Amino acid sequence: MGEVIVITSGKGGVGKTTTAANVGAGLAYLGKKVVLVDTDIGLRNLDMALGLENRIVFDIVDVTSGNCRLRQALIKDKRLDGLHLLPAAQTKDKTAVSPEQMKALCDDLRQEFEYIIIDCPAGIEQGFRNAIAGADKAIVITTPEVSAVRDADRIIGLLEASELREPALIVNRIRPKMVRQGDMMSIEDIIDILAVDLLGVIPEDEMIVITTNRGEPVVLDQSSRLGQSYRNIVKRILGEDVPMMSLDEEGFFGKIRKMFGMR
Amino acid sequence: MAISKESNNSPLPKHTAVDQEDLVDDNTILVQRTLRSGQTISYHGNVVVLGDVNPGAEIAATGNIIVMGALRGVVHAGAGGDENAIVLAFKLQPTQLRISDHITRPPDNEAIDTAHPEMARIKDGVVTIEAFQTPPERQAKP
Repeated sequence: MGEVIVITSGKGGVGKTTTAANVGAGLAYLGKKVVLVDTDIGLRNLDMALGLENRIVFDIVDVTSGNCRLRQALIKDKRLDGLHLLPAAQTKDKTAVSPEQMKALCDDLRQEFEYIIIDCPAGIEQGFRNAIAGADKAIVITTPEVSAVRDADRIIGLLEASELREPALIVNRIRPKMVRQGDMMSIEDIIDILAVDLLGVIPEDEMIVITTNRGEPVVLDQSSRLGQSYRNIVKRILGEDVPMMSLDEEGFFGKIRKMFGMR
Repeated sequence: MAISKESNNSPLPKHTAVDQEDLVDDNTILVQRTLRSGQTISYHGNVVVLGDVNPGAEIAATGNIIVMGALRGVVHAGAGGDENAIVLAFKLQPTQLRISDHITRPPDNEAIDTAHPEMARIKDGVVTIEAFQTPPERQAKP
């Protein structure tokens, strides 16, 4: 039986879709059978992060309303054998699917996949209700901004009310230099307020813009620090005990080591 | 902040002197969790929270409010007019603190580090915050 993990945040633009794409690709790279479900109906994005936009024929609404079979709507990834995508509909809205339908859909996907990763839309309305309906676990994403942390806190409260206890936290787009100067919230400050377990930290990096626009998950880039931070998260999801990556900039010796291909 | 109707209907207890005995009320609710953003409690009586009150959370009580943790949200003690109500927290850092019809907020651009439990109450018509100490006669004898 597969595990259904919802990736959510409350606030928009903190990296839910990017994280979903990378966690999904990372799990598939390690040989797991994974399906990514985009529940952001009307604002379809996850297909672009994976570079699968031009392959969509049927979508999640076609499946839940019985227009097609589940198998027909699933898109196989072009790079990874184990990775599949169930895209959102672009021409409908969030009311096109009900929480009960989502629950049934998750149960169907559970039969066939080891990990079902659900990309949740921003907000706390029906889209969010749908996304969490069938989930076993939740990953909450935030950035080190007071508004994002406030929304994450609200989301954790709503998850707890829906019996999704002990969500894991990912802090995205942290800038170690600004934290050191006291201009940005630190991981400790965020944990102090949210009081949940930390699953991973992703540093701010221009590279994510490039890879996401190209539709290539950065987790597959073995040489980058950014890819490493996603790979660590994937390993922790699989139950490995991976220490948190030091956030300090590499420094002189780090650069030399990089030149010689040592990591 | 609106108080739910039920909590406003019954008459409030009358206090004559600011004495600790007067803080005792029959109605007390124990909240055994952290209040997160968007969660509210309004109660006719005292509220005791075993956990934090995060920014964006709100508590309104006709009596006293005690937070065994960090108080960072909005609280209203003595909602309904009790000037003797107090707010007590291990870490008193509220977004806004109201007692009866007095509304206060922390000073702008000033990070206050509260290392000790603190208590807010109305003294001479002003909300004052002082370090909370158990009165000497109630402290455990060595």
